[in-house]
Amino acid sequence: MHELSLAQSLIDQIVALAAEHQARRVNRVVVTLGPFSGVVRDSFEFGFNILKQEREQIREAALELETPDPEYVCLDCAKVAVIPFPRQSDRLELARCGLSAKKCPWCGSTRLSPKGGTELILNQLEME
Amino acid sequence: MCDTCGCQLHEHHHHDAKVVEVNRSLLEANQKQADSNRHHIEHMGAVAINLISSPGSGKTTLLERTIEALKETVRIGVIEGDIETERDADRIRAKGVPAVQLTTGGACHLDAPMVHGGLHVLEHFAKGGLDLIFIENVGNLVCPATFDLGEHRRVVLLSTPEGSDKPAKYPATFKGADLVLITKTDLLPYFDFSVEEATKEARLLKPDQEVLALSATSGEGFAAWLAYLNQLLPK
Repeated sequence: MHELSLAQSLIDQIVALAAEHQARRVNRVVVTLGPFSGVVRDSFEFGFNILKQEREQIREAALELETPDPEYVCLDCAKVAVIPFPRQSDRLELARCGLSAKKCPWCGSTRLSPKGGTELILNQLEME
Repeated sequence: MCDTCGCQLHEHHHHDAKVVEVNRSLLEANQKQADSNRHHIEHMGAVAINLISSPGSGKTTLLERTIEALKETVRIGVIEGDIETERDADRIRAKGVPAVQLTTGGACHLDAPMVHGGLHVLEHFAKGGLDLIFIENVGNLVCPATFDLGEHRRVVLLSTPEGSDKPAKYPATFKGADLVLITKTDLLPYFDFSVEEATKEARLLKPDQEVLALSATSGEGFAAWLAYLNQLLPK
């Protein structure tokens, strides 16, 4: 959702930082897309790669996306669990085994509440 | 091929390349403006509420009835957000309260810069000052969740015909709410909506979530909503 305008915000930040550091070019950009940020990885990457063409200094910049696994806090036992999203290919299998509902690995409860994971962060730049 | 050293490798670093730690949110620009809006509103002596819901959940009707109930004692102003038309701002103005219409022309949500503009216009039309500012967001249960507008409280409406499963289906929106307001309770006899289930789903996302249920047409539950608003205002 809004991947293109987010990619544009990223590019604006990068261009400003490159100017601040008097860099001729940016080689690498590391960004974290939180698991509950609602941002679709492929769309974001696509948008970035298109928009970066407009600026000489970032045209060659490689985008590295960190997509941490989602964390949940169990409302019954209060422990935190890391439960990756099922891959598209696994979903049918999970549904067939009746395992679609996430369960707390500690106590088995299905009352899992999403914890954090909404961040969208420009972590670091490599430039010269 | 790398045009600095002529090699074919994608993953390599040059001697004079430096790595700079940044750790800044991509939404920083909006967040800065939102924080500035919030201070501006506080400086006006007011409190702001962002109303978020699907189209047709009853945001404007809620405001009409709220204004009727409070306008003698509370100075209210409204910023309306829609893709097209001034219809909602017109409805608010008909209640005798200043309203500014932001028409986005296409954007599916309001953002802090748009609201910044709206606040300045609203201030101009509310010469006597304001206590309570409502920002009625574009009808959309997805996108508004991402954008802080500078509000003090975020109220998410869910109307009876929409179904009690919506908090589970729209977790980001419902998790970010300060209050979940179930509307159109006069229609409960005609729909499968369960206030208990909707509350349960909302509290899975946010265990201490405040939930109220009302009907702006029958008045049921309205007193609790007015009490909620009154306790936000300075005494």
